[in-house]
Amino acid sequence: MKIINDIQFKSSLDAFRLAKLRNFWTMLGVIIGVASFILIVGISEGIKLQINNQINTSEAGVLTIRPQDIQVAGSSLDSLALFSGINVSGSLTNRDISTVTNTPGIKSVAPMAAITAKVVGSGGKYNNGLVIGTSSSLLNILGQSLSYGSFLNSLSNVQNQVIVGNSASMDLFNEDVPLGQTVQINGTNFVVEGILNPFPATPLSSGAEFNKALFINYGNLESLTNNSATTYQILALTKNPKNINKIKQALTNRLLVTHGGQKDFTILSPAQNASSNNTILNLLTKLIIGVSIISLIVGGIGIMNVMLVSITERMHEIGIRKSLGATNRQILDQFLIESTTLSIIGGIIGIILAFLADLLFRMFTNIRPAISFEIVVIALLIASGIGIIFGSVPAYKAAHKDPIEALRSE
Amino acid sequence: MPLIKLDNVSKLYGFGDATTIALDEIDLVINKGEFVAVMGPSGSGKSTLMNIIGLLDRPSQGRYLLEGKSVARLRSDQAAKIRRDSIGFIFQSFNLLTRLNVIDNVSLPLIYKGYTKSKSYRLASSILDKIGIQSREYFYPSQLSGGQAQCVAIARAIVNNPKLIIADEPTGNLDSAGARLVMEILSEIHAAGNTIIFVTHNPDLTRYATRVVYMHDGNIIHDEKTAIGRVAPRAREELYTLPIQTVDDDIAGVSALIKAIPAHNSNPRSSNRTKKNQRKHRK
Repeated sequence: MKIINDIQFKSSLDAFRLAKLRNFWTMLGVIIGVASFILIVGISEGIKLQINNQINTSEAGVLTIRPQDIQVAGSSLDSLALFSGINVSGSLTNRDISTVTNTPGIKSVAPMAAITAKVVGSGGKYNNGLVIGTSSSLLNILGQSLSYGSFLNSLSNVQNQVIVGNSASMDLFNEDVPLGQTVQINGTNFVVEGILNPFPATPLSSGAEFNKALFINYGNLESLTNNSATTYQILALTKNPKNINKIKQALTNRLLVTHGGQKDFTILSPAQNASSNNTILNLLTKLIIGVSIISLIVGGIGIMNVMLVSITERMHEIGIRKSLGATNRQILDQFLIESTTLSIIGGIIGIILAFLADLLFRMFTNIRPAISFEIVVIALLIASGIGIIFGSVPAYKAAHKDPIEALRSE
Repeated sequence: MPLIKLDNVSKLYGFGDATTIALDEIDLVINKGEFVAVMGPSGSGKSTLMNIIGLLDRPSQGRYLLEGKSVARLRSDQAAKIRRDSIGFIFQSFNLLTRLNVIDNVSLPLIYKGYTKSKSYRLASSILDKIGIQSREYFYPSQLSGGQAQCVAIARAIVNNPKLIIADEPTGNLDSAGARLVMEILSEIHAAGNTIIFVTHNPDLTRYATRVVYMHDGNIIHDEKTAIGRVAPRAREELYTLPIQTVDDDIAGVSALIKAIPAHNSNPRSSNRTKKNQRKHRK
């Protein structure tokens, strides 16, 4: 375009030198909007990536049986409970455990019952420590490994063994390898048999809680709580992950029989786990993208207001330009360039902020945002779009001002 | 063919009862090469006339031919293009863009014409050289004296080689030295064959003009040719009788009651009237 040339552009930019601070406040809305937009999408994509990776590596071929009938496919609020399995109310029974164990195609089974208990070690204590009763198969099913010692031996309570999570070993004993030390759980002594490697602390999973948990034999937990512990899930590893759907169906039928035909349980396959997580994440992402778009619009209105003030202040200049023969179109372009530049600069600052925040997330949390090139480009396009849309009203007002009136105003 | 031909041109402001007549059926012909001084008291319609001739404003009625083409009813963009290509403005308060330096200010009309930056800089520089302020090319308006600023404004007005230069009190904000500088430059431009119309309150400056037009209450009350170098006779008269006060003005000042008597107001030289008053008096 011939009419948008250097001096016109320069004079648009000159306005910035005049009112840097005011322009900063103007851009703030766009800055925040763009930064949060990029960050939210990045975080959501990052979490999805992490969860899917985890599912692909460790959970392949694992069926999760939970009490209650949970609808997963839709976005019903029930599925929120999947974020942390421990929140699921209701309990599975020993009969369920044996039903699952006896189902053909199942290689190994790990029930998971949880209580919170007062845990006292030699170097510290948990008032509400997470104690999980499970079986020796858990390690294999979770794809987890020990850093020291050995895992639980069997379902029987031959000995009061306890396996401590990675963080719990430091918290309770003040040392990395508290093998053979004694820990009191609700007054009963347990001997530390092994220390787990850190669980991959992916967001929205119970990995972080597991690092502070103590794992004891299922039978031990039953006697510790007089059979009142809640079995919140049973993990079942299939022999052949390819048949997982067939096995799931068989398992469902068997459990239905033992439950008297009532479907008060749910069996989740890894894909369902992923899809439920993704469904919720997508929903949240949409919500927050909506919020950032609102803040972008507010930012746009801010730009519009400042531009309106600015053209009132610069009315005389508009008059001079018109008397020199500037057409309406040329004045319009000048102010559009100005507002678009404002919002693009705001957008760039927002992008920089988003990357800084990304860095902070990576340093201080276990979230690894995935900011893609496309998102950055989209954010910049939105920012410039806002400049054009919200700049057009003031620019139009400036362009159609009567030259005499404009010249008269000071 | 005259450069400017105004035919029965009127300009009214306001609506209904509050209508003010700024120009009252003016006929004016200005030929190419004339150096016209427009004189008259404040509110006599000089600036309105300049705005209409300069296509910043449109007449309420009447015809305006610029180089034989009717330009009274142009769309704003067509008017802008004619201002850009054929008319140069010089204002009392210089009206330079304070954020641009001298050469950017001068090249602005060329930029709007679509010239490249280098070409417009070259042209602007040569014009500044002609006017004798090339050394100030990269100064900002705030760093210039009044006379220099007005010289820059003149350079900006003539950089497009316009057919007509309109100066609205170009010396109004200048000291006598600055005023002389500006008028010398304007008369040089006129000597080169350009047409200039300028408004002034200073009768002394009519010595630069070839023609003096006197206005009062939106009418042209006197129009005379004058030799360059001499103060126009009518202007000289005003020079020694300032401030202008007529018997009518005295009466108006003495009592509004007396002014209300129709006989006094039928005089066309009474001060600004509204249409309402006019109608009332005609009854």
